[in-house]
Parts: sequence; structure tokens; C-alpha cells
Amino acid sequence: MESASLAELLADARVWKLKDASAALPRPVWPTGRQALDARLPGGGWPTASLIEVLIAEHGLGEVQLFLPALVACQREAAGEAPWLVWIAPPHEPYAPALAQQGLDLRRFLVVRPPSAIEALWAAEQALGSGACAAVFLWLKGTDERWLRRLKLAAEEGGALGVLVRPERHRFESSPACLRLSMTRDERALHLELLKVRGGCPGSVDLELR
Amino acid sequence: MIARAKESRTADLFAAAPALSPSRAATVPRAPATPQVPVRARNRPLWYAAVFPQLPTTEPSTECLCRLARHAQRFTSFVSLEPPAALLLEIRGSLRLFGTAAALQARIDAGWADIGVPVQSAAAPSPLAALWFARSGGRTPIEDPAALAGCLAQLPIACTAWEPQRLARLRAIGVTRLGDLLRLPRAGLARRFGTGILTDLDAALARAPAPRRAFVPRERFHERCDFDAEIDRVATLVRALEPLVGRCARFLRERQAGVQRLQLCLRHRAAPATRLTLGFADVTGDPRRLREVLAERLSRLELAAPVRAALLRSAALAPLPAGSLDAFGGAAGRDGAAQLIERLRARFGENAVYGVSAVAEHRPEAASRRVHELRAGHAPAAAGGGAGEGVSRPVWLLPEPAFLAPRAAPAGDWRLEHGPERIESGWWDGAGIARDYYIARRTQGARLWVFQERRSGHWYLHGVFA
Repeated sequence: MESASLAELLADARVWKLKDASAALPRPVWPTGRQALDARLPGGGWPTASLIEVLIAEHGLGEVQLFLPALVACQREAAGEAPWLVWIAPPHEPYAPALAQQGLDLRRFLVVRPPSAIEALWAAEQALGSGACAAVFLWLKGTDERWLRRLKLAAEEGGALGVLVRPERHRFESSPACLRLSMTRDERALHLELLKVRGGCPGSVDLELR
Repeated sequence: MIARAKESRTADLFAAAPALSPSRAATVPRAPATPQVPVRARNRPLWYAAVFPQLPTTEPSTECLCRLARHAQRFTSFVSLEPPAALLLEIRGSLRLFGTAAALQARIDAGWADIGVPVQSAAAPSPLAALWFARSGGRTPIEDPAALAGCLAQLPIACTAWEPQRLARLRAIGVTRLGDLLRLPRAGLARRFGTGILTDLDAALARAPAPRRAFVPRERFHERCDFDAEIDRVATLVRALEPLVGRCARFLRERQAGVQRLQLCLRHRAAPATRLTLGFADVTGDPRRLREVLAERLSRLELAAPVRAALLRSAALAPLPAGSLDAFGGAAGRDGAAQLIERLRARFGENAVYGVSAVAEHRPEAASRRVHELRAGHAPAAAGGGAGEGVSRPVWLLPEPAFLAPRAAPAGDWRLEHGPERIESGWWDGAGIARDYYIARRTQGARLWVFQERRSGHWYLHGVFA
């Protein structure tokens, strides 16, 4: 990297350019499958090569369903071999028929059960930085900001999407994630509160239930 | 002497051969002792058989035979094991290098004498004939198939090593030498003794092919490294093991092979040895990956005692999967996944890193299973595994259904939203279920997959839609 030119340096995802932060992002995005949500996100979809934080009060609100259409599409549209999806420390056992029904390629699906939270973070960093994974999901109870920053750098280096699912109580902590959203649900709709959107505006989105 | 006489006589049978030989002899300088071998015979395989009469037959002798086969591989690329106590070498291809068949036979015999193994050897155009000659005491080579019958005729039938009953019956009808047998009519022989005897005779006379399996040595890397001083820190150990790993990688590269498993044994002064297994996601010989997995595996290790010596041994070698090199250096993609998996496995163990696969089965708990063979590319999951298209299944399944409420109607902070879907299956293997599944919702919003057991009427939580 010693001889990298300025243009190359600027093209690196880790370099954040203040001036055109709100301009169209050069990085590809994955359409979420929900128009209302796409409209609120810069570039029109989930940002790749970055870290997304999802805050939920309890499991089962549809936090996985929110990302599944994008994951299926990214596996289908990949040139050559489908990229891997890695789930680290999921709260329960992933149920294969449900995932297959949604269209995920289970041959490229990996579950990791590390013995502790620190080990889970290490695994996530390795998976994000490996360049072989399209998306890495990590379920965590608590962590510190330093680790999140490392995850973010790994995601940008490896070009993977990192999704961190944490309890709602971390809402007021600072986080380096480029997209943070809090999720609630009632009978009629899924409410997403965008707490932080890099290159966009925070606000809330209601998604109809399907 | 006999062989020389036979060869000169049989050379007359091939009219074309004498006309060709003198001109060749004029242009190509050859060893002076080369007998005139007919052209057709030159292209036939020539088999050298070695019978080791003093090989221990009680213990598994193949191990011993393999060692001898490796010794014989310096003379030819094709060695075949003939248990219990013989080897077959195809030597036609080696004649150009070693001169005449007789010279080569003498040379191989001298090789056995060097390592102190008594041997009876013979060479003939068919493997079976060579073997029979060797068993009956050995003789000088016969290169011409036409001379085979005459030479075989004098052998006693015991050299065939047929089963004793057959030999006894042959002796009972007055057959003591192979010549007697060859004189008998084939049809009658087949009727009395089965066609196997004819197959053997034809193979011995080089009239029928008798293919042999080539001996392929099973190689393993197995090396020991003694340290100058005892090592009590893992970081130092990793560095100290580097030359050993490097040698292993070089060993693999020289053989164009890889391994999927390595065993490392750490020797201590007082404590029993520590044994570690290093697993790789696929067959590899890449020194960087070997080193990386070793370092990762050792980082989890608590050294019980200072290490004096280390022993690294490989599992059976496997051919490397063919891969193309990237013209632009960065070979991230496919290699990356394999490396990631083995790094995670080295740190967390085999069982903590797995895939899932759907099984066509109506019982929900049996419809999904863990898959540990990650690179094998198991069959694409059947959609739904027993569940129909329109039936939704939860992303999470609890390992055991959790008890929710006794028989009464659902109460508390959850209520039913969708259902029932009756699943009644598995009565045939004793683990039958009869349940009505519902999709329920908690007041906070979580969607659950609950069921009422039909026998007891109790409510259970079985999955979570996420």
C-alpha cells in the first residue's frame, strides 16, 4: 500500500469523505424488498461493506425477515459461487425448512457458536474481513465501542454486510454503525425507527405486515 | 543355458525378425550379450516374480511386503503385491536402462541379497508363469511366450498354489506336472475342475490377459523435532514448530499432495504427551494455512508441562484439488471461505461451526439437522421438508418444546393468531407426535409457533418467527 495513489486511497471504503457524504454512495446497495424503506435509505437499499445495528426488545419481531429478501437476492445474483452467510451466536437453532422456504442457499450457510461474547466478536471480525461472506449476523447482549469499531473496519475491508442484533437498552450508547434502527411491532405494522443513517436522515418508517 | 537354446530355436518361428535384426544391430550399439529377441516379443510385458520363502506369514505380512515393494520400486515403476509372500515387477520398460533381462534379474536379486532377504526369482512373459517358476525354485528369464509351454510343462503342479483339494484330485488322476495337465482335453478339464483352472492356465501361457494392480506406496509425513531447551510458553512453541511445519509443507509440495488432518504430539518430561488434531476445511498443502491453523489451535492450549519434543504426523495424503491461479494475485473468494471455516474450527472446535440442512420429514424437530461436512456440498435442501408451500415455518426452533400452559385455553400475554395446522406423524418409530400448531403473538409483538398436544391438551412453545 506504500505506493497507493491518492485516488486509490480515496476509493477505499474506510476513507470517509465529508464533502460528498450525502451524494450517491459509490458502494453497491441491496434493495430491501420494501419500497417504503428503500426510499429512506441512501442509495436505495441496505448499505454493503458496513455495519448495521438492529435494536430489539425481544426476539421474534421479524428482525431476520427484514433482511432475508436482500440475502436471498445477493446469493442468487452473485456471479460464480454464491457467497456465504454466517450467523454467529444465534439465540436459538436456525430452522432449515424455514430458511430453505425463503430461498436461501443452505450450502453456503454457516452457524458459529462461540463460547463467549468476546469470542463471538472475534469470529465476526474474522468472517467480515475474510472476503468470502456476503453477510454476517451477530447476536450480542453487550459489548464495547472499541469492538464495534473493529467490526466496522473488518466489514469495510472484506466488503461484507455486518448486522448486529442487540437489546433495545443499548439505544442511547454511541455506536460506529452506519445504520442503526430500533424495531417494534403491533398487530398492523412493523415500526422501524431509524436512529442513525449515514448519508441520510433519521426518522421512522412503518412497514405493512405480510 | 536352457533358456538361450530355447530362444534361438523360437527365433526361427518369426520370419520377419532375423531380417530386421542385423541392420538395427549395425546402427544402434547394444550390449554385446543381447540375445536375438523377436520383434513381437519385445513389446510384450515381461514379468519378474520374487518369492520370499522366509517371509513371516503369521503376522500381517503385507506391511513387510510393502517395504520390499518400496525397495523394488527402484527397478521399475510397476510393482504389484502378491500376498502372502511374493512380488511381481513389470521389467520390460526397464530393460533399455539395465541391459538384458538376465542382467536385470541378477541385479534385482543382488538387491534382495543386500538387504539379507532370501529369494527365489524368475522372469516370464506372463505374471502367473513368472510366479510359478519362482515358487518352484526360480530360473533364468524366458522372454518368448512361445517357449512358455515347454518350460512350464516340467513344473510340478504344487507351484500353482491352488487349493489342496484340487491338487489332491489332480494327483489322483495321475497329473503331477503341468505338462500332464496341458495335455488333457480342455472341455473335460473344465467339466471336472471348473473353468477357473483353464483361466489360470491361459493366463500363465500368456494367452489371456492377467491384469495386476500396481502398488502405490502409502506415504505419510512423520517427523520429530527435539528442542534444545524445554519450552513453556505457547508463543515460543509456535515459533519453534515453524521449521517442522515448513518441512511438512515441503514434503507435501514435492508429492503434489495435501492433507486434511495433521496430528501433533507434544512430549513432556514427566507428564503424558499432549495430542492435538489440526483439521482443515479442505485438502491443503499451503504452508501459510498450516501455520495459521497450528497457531490458532495452540492459542487455545494450556500447556500442562514444558515441552521437550514435538512429533508431527499427517493423515493419508490426498491429491490436491486442481485450482487455477489468479492472474492478478488476489485469490480471495473460494479460498477465503475454506480458510475462514478452518480458522473458526481451530479456535472453537469442530462442533461449534456447522451448517444446517432440511430433511423431508413431517415432524418439525426432525426436519432440520446440523451438517458438519461443510465443503462436501450436501444436496440442495428440499423446500419446506414436508411442510407445504403456503405453510409458514419459524426461523428459530427450540431444541425442546417449552411448556407454556396446562390444558385450559391460552391465557397470559399471548394469543392465537393463525391455525390450527395439525401434524400427526411418526407413530411407526415410537416417537410419534399428534399436535395442533398455531401461530401466536405476544403483546410486545413477537410471533411464536406454539402447539397444543392432542393427547394431554397442554400448550408448548416450539419456535419463534424472527
